[in-house]
Amino acid sequence: MRALRHLALALFLAVRAVSAGAEELISDLPRNETLIVENPEGTIKNAGWFNIWAINAGGQSTGLQQLAMDTLWYIDPQHGLDGVWMNSLAAEKPIYNADFTEMTVKLRSGIYWSDGVEFSADDLVFTAELHMKTKGLRWSAPFQINVASVSAPDRNTVVFKLKKPNSRFHTLFTVRWNAVWIMPKHIFEKVADPLKFDFNKPVSLGAYVLHGYDPNGKWFIWQLRDDWQRTTLGRYGKPGPKYVAYIDPGPPDKRVIAQLNHELDIIHDTSAEGMFTLARQSKTSRGWFKGFPYAHPDPTLPAVIFNLQNDTFKDRRVRWALALLIDIKAVSMASYRGAATISAIAIPPTGTHTESYHAPLEAWLKDFELDTGKRKIKPYDPDIGKEIADMLRPSMGDQIPTSADDIAKAFGRGWWKHDPAAATELLQAAGFTRRGDAWMTPEGKPFTVHVVVEGDLRPVMTRAGSMIAQQWRQFGIDAKTEVAQGTLPDRRDAGDFDTMIAWSVETWGGHPDLSFFLDSWHSQFVARPGQRQTPRNWQRWSSPELDKIIEQIRTVGFDDPKGVELGQDFVKLAVREMPIIPLMAYNVFTVMDQTYWTGYPNAESDPYTDPVPNWGNSRAMMVRLKPTK
Amino acid sequence: MFGVLRDLFRYRLEFRFGVILTGFIVAFAALSLASPYPPQDQFVVPPDLPPSWSYWFGTTSRGQDVFWLLTFAIRNTMLFGFSVAILSRLISIAFGMWSGYRGGLVDRVLMSVNDTFIVIPLFPLLVLFYFVMRDRMSWPLLALAMASLGWAYDARLIRAVALSLKSREFTQQCVFSGMRTREIVFQEHLPYVLPIVFYTTLNNMNWSIGLEVTLSVLGFTDIDTPTVGVMIFWANQHTAMVAGIWWWVFFPVLFVVILFIGLFLLAISINEYIDPRSRLARIEGASR
Amino acid sequence: MQAYATYALKRLAQFALVVFIGINLAYLITHATPIDPVEQTVSAATAFGNTSPDAIRMMRASLRELYGLEGSPWSQYVAFWRRVLIGDFGPSLSAFPTPVSALIAQALPWTVGLLTVSTCLAFALGNLLGGLAGYFRDNRILKVAGIAAMAVHPIPYYIMAFVMLIVFGYLWPVLPISGGYRINTPWGWNAAFVLSVATHAILPVASLVLVGIGGWFVGMRSLVSNIVTEDYVTYAELAGVSRGRILGAYVMRNALAPQVTGLAMSLGSVFNGAIITEQVFGYPGIGTLLIQAVHAGDYSLVVGIASISIVAVSVAVLIIDLLYPLLDPRVKVS
Repeated sequence: MRALRHLALALFLAVRAVSAGAEELISDLPRNETLIVENPEGTIKNAGWFNIWAINAGGQSTGLQQLAMDTLWYIDPQHGLDGVWMNSLAAEKPIYNADFTEMTVKLRSGIYWSDGVEFSADDLVFTAELHMKTKGLRWSAPFQINVASVSAPDRNTVVFKLKKPNSRFHTLFTVRWNAVWIMPKHIFEKVADPLKFDFNKPVSLGAYVLHGYDPNGKWFIWQLRDDWQRTTLGRYGKPGPKYVAYIDPGPPDKRVIAQLNHELDIIHDTSAEGMFTLARQSKTSRGWFKGFPYAHPDPTLPAVIFNLQNDTFKDRRVRWALALLIDIKAVSMASYRGAATISAIAIPPTGTHTESYHAPLEAWLKDFELDTGKRKIKPYDPDIGKEIADMLRPSMGDQIPTSADDIAKAFGRGWWKHDPAAATELLQAAGFTRRGDAWMTPEGKPFTVHVVVEGDLRPVMTRAGSMIAQQWRQFGIDAKTEVAQGTLPDRRDAGDFDTMIAWSVETWGGHPDLSFFLDSWHSQFVARPGQRQTPRNWQRWSSPELDKIIEQIRTVGFDDPKGVELGQDFVKLAVREMPIIPLMAYNVFTVMDQTYWTGYPNAESDPYTDPVPNWGNSRAMMVRLKPTK
Repeated sequence: MFGVLRDLFRYRLEFRFGVILTGFIVAFAALSLASPYPPQDQFVVPPDLPPSWSYWFGTTSRGQDVFWLLTFAIRNTMLFGFSVAILSRLISIAFGMWSGYRGGLVDRVLMSVNDTFIVIPLFPLLVLFYFVMRDRMSWPLLALAMASLGWAYDARLIRAVALSLKSREFTQQCVFSGMRTREIVFQEHLPYVLPIVFYTTLNNMNWSIGLEVTLSVLGFTDIDTPTVGVMIFWANQHTAMVAGIWWWVFFPVLFVVILFIGLFLLAISINEYIDPRSRLARIEGASR
Repeated sequence: MQAYATYALKRLAQFALVVFIGINLAYLITHATPIDPVEQTVSAATAFGNTSPDAIRMMRASLRELYGLEGSPWSQYVAFWRRVLIGDFGPSLSAFPTPVSALIAQALPWTVGLLTVSTCLAFALGNLLGGLAGYFRDNRILKVAGIAAMAVHPIPYYIMAFVMLIVFGYLWPVLPISGGYRINTPWGWNAAFVLSVATHAILPVASLVLVGIGGWFVGMRSLVSNIVTEDYVTYAELAGVSRGRILGAYVMRNALAPQVTGLAMSLGSVFNGAIITEQVFGYPGIGTLLIQAVHAGDYSLVVGIASISIVAVSVAVLIIDLLYPLLDPRVKVS
């Protein structure tokens, strides 16, 4: 028995010894010079693969695209460091000829790769030509479809000759999350097959080089280059963090614990409850908004997407009825615990869009009339955002903003009034009948709707979908959720759904141009029933009016204000036809810890970029972050 | 048979505890019939309330009453475990008996197949199966899959019993006196085989429930139907432990552990009863 | 010797059969999946950009060509077996052209290390405690230990791991709860790395061992309590042989024999622990790799992992079965 006592003592001492060492998360790096960030890709399967141009299982947002890569232009999803548009490797904006068949790029000089070779037009030409002649690279297809030839009249100029007019060809090199990154010619020209080359260790064009990585893919550490002035970020000043570590911190609750222990500076996303816990327990953690709803609204619009090739949904009165049956307040509570930014129109309520679309169209929305078959109603309720704020104030207190402007920014403006009476009239006008408690289609079959959700890969959307199905069910429609965990992309592409909670609207964020998603909504791209639909017209909407708008946008320059007018026309058309029921912005609970670093972007005082750390645009944070110790 | 059970209850502490614990869980599961809330609805009660007189086990972040949700969860979990156990009994009894009685080549071939299933790591196969079935996955289908993978261990045990019974004297007597095989099996051998079957059923239930909890927690099953594993899954989704909503995780874990221990105690007490050596030891012990 | 050789040959034949059936099962199930790896790759690659519909069509076509997914199911099956027999599982589809074996080789050592250490520890501790409990029937501490071990044993492994995570991650955070070693520690046989691997392995191993002990304990205890009543043990006690020697040389050695058989049979289920451990503790290994592969619809990688685990377990069982008759003279190989 004495042996047991000795054993217990030894164990106790061992644990104490171990716990002393458990404090430091990273060995050898000074904590006050290191920024620790979550990589939402998790554990990278093929960690030693840095060739981002070949599609492999190497990581992209391991810091590789955020810190080591660079390309011609960046569009910020928020307001930008010095404006939404950033000329990065390019010295000025793209120059098109009159009919958009030629694009000229003027490049910056004085930029060097991390191995000392100077960047020049040769790198850009090489990148383009390699993609044109190689099949199977990540961006091979756009080059092969668009580019007829590319040439470099001098060291700092590149001219692209296009196969057909394309007023938005420059978007290929414009970072909105990512874009075509420029390859180092002096490395890749020696490679026999670019598809088989792992580019390990990578040569950086950005301000950071690879310091080390985990062969099992759980962490990647980058170090600031000594010659950081010779990069495109250099003109903004010296980046604050000397080391940046991108790690896989595990499931959402482990991330919260890590930040509470000050071992994780930026959480990419966590649950709403995790966010509230951090807000309550940590004085140094903050989200994009100082108070509720904390989250950053990404320029993506989750919506109820109808399959418009399904007979039940061909009548817009049915779609409107289903929209009016949704109580968006309950959906906001169910999905985001109220921390949602709602939108009644098919544009995400974020970035500069509220100035270009939401505010100007508010008056039109208030006056919008809908004919239910029995009467005309004005379905828009401008106060719903305010009502959500009021609902939350008793439990959240002063976390909830009070001024009308702040509430509009945080919670959104209005939405469609929850109106079962009007929904009844609309359905009856469309030929649906009620038999007892249940609704029947005009053909006499039970009115059944399945809402496809993605399960725990998108928990917030799954909760929204369950609440919406429940509301439809309570009205008498046979509605239920279908969890398509992992197969949602397949089913979405194949049109194998009635309705689903997903997004077909994604925008630049900082720039009002809608072509990012809208161009693909042209009826020329709509697939036949049973065939795969290409992104992003998942609802398979075909409309001659829409086509006209899209074709007009194609002829108008990227920055032309007429583009915004056409965008507003699109919004009005989408309201009338309701091909998707817009719900809210995709709120990401990115949480930043100010214990070791300050200078993060935020909504109130400094919206200089999107804090969500897997965006290529997040490199702007590096030049603004300053150590606290 | 009932006489035996009654004696076990009276004299064996383990059996008594097992019956009490398991009975408690079964009664709790039966309460689900009286639930005021449909199990799949959310936001029917205010969310995140700690246990109190109005909500005995508290409420979840999804606005559900933990007490009533747990009655459904335990019921579904037990039904699932039970159906897997029954289905796999059919396979293991068929394999074990046939192999044991026939002997020879049939026995060797069947046992090779059997050993394959013992050695193969089941979890990866189940994960694979889930990903193949994905959205068509339903509880009956999962039960079928698990039953067809989990019979191997028990088939061996049953075969051992069959082998030993085959060589007994009274069996030879029955054969000589003209009884048909089916009569022998059902009338003479069944009382010996039944306790083993009972023991393996309980063990199998524990195994399948454990596997169900694991698969559900990882999200590899139908997450809309409440079971114990699915409750923990949703709790994790809402980071309940970190948010301080401990009751959402504590009560399902507590109840499933009670169920496991109950079934386990039943199983080992019946096993001890069957094992003649330990019976002798008990008799000796009683007389010491 | 002759008998042993026949026995060994029969076991080897059985080994080959088990591996054959197992790999075929994995292959069949994997190829029954409706997930198309090309679609998965295309989806992932175009998720964030605004690739035009034409570009996507082109990308899909070139990937299909690249991955070599042409050919009838039978020819693919034959090609598969031809490669497997020389140990080549082909390139991973989601990490093309990196070979499957390279990805597995990266992750496998962690899983093997974790499982070997846990199994050995659980076996050793469980049998030791069980043996002591069976011999010293009236010792109160051992009785309590017995009840504790039996109470813990039926608990599903996930719950045990989860509870340890809560205790050591939230309530009393003294041990690291994720990763295989401390970040930025260079690999190699240096003190820092070895120490950090050891500390990061404490929780995963502890949870596996705690759950595993119970089974060995119960089995050993009942075996020992039967042996204790045997004549030769009583004789040794009467003859004054020391307690320690009786326990070690007479009782435990004889009781270990059936336990070793049990060890062989339990190896299959031990692998399940790997996947869950890696999920809960963020530990590197082939469990995470498997889940990622299944998500990506990468059937080469999935079949590779499943095959390797089947082969690994079968080899371990084979070794135990071949060594066992050599160790225990009572076993007759007929």
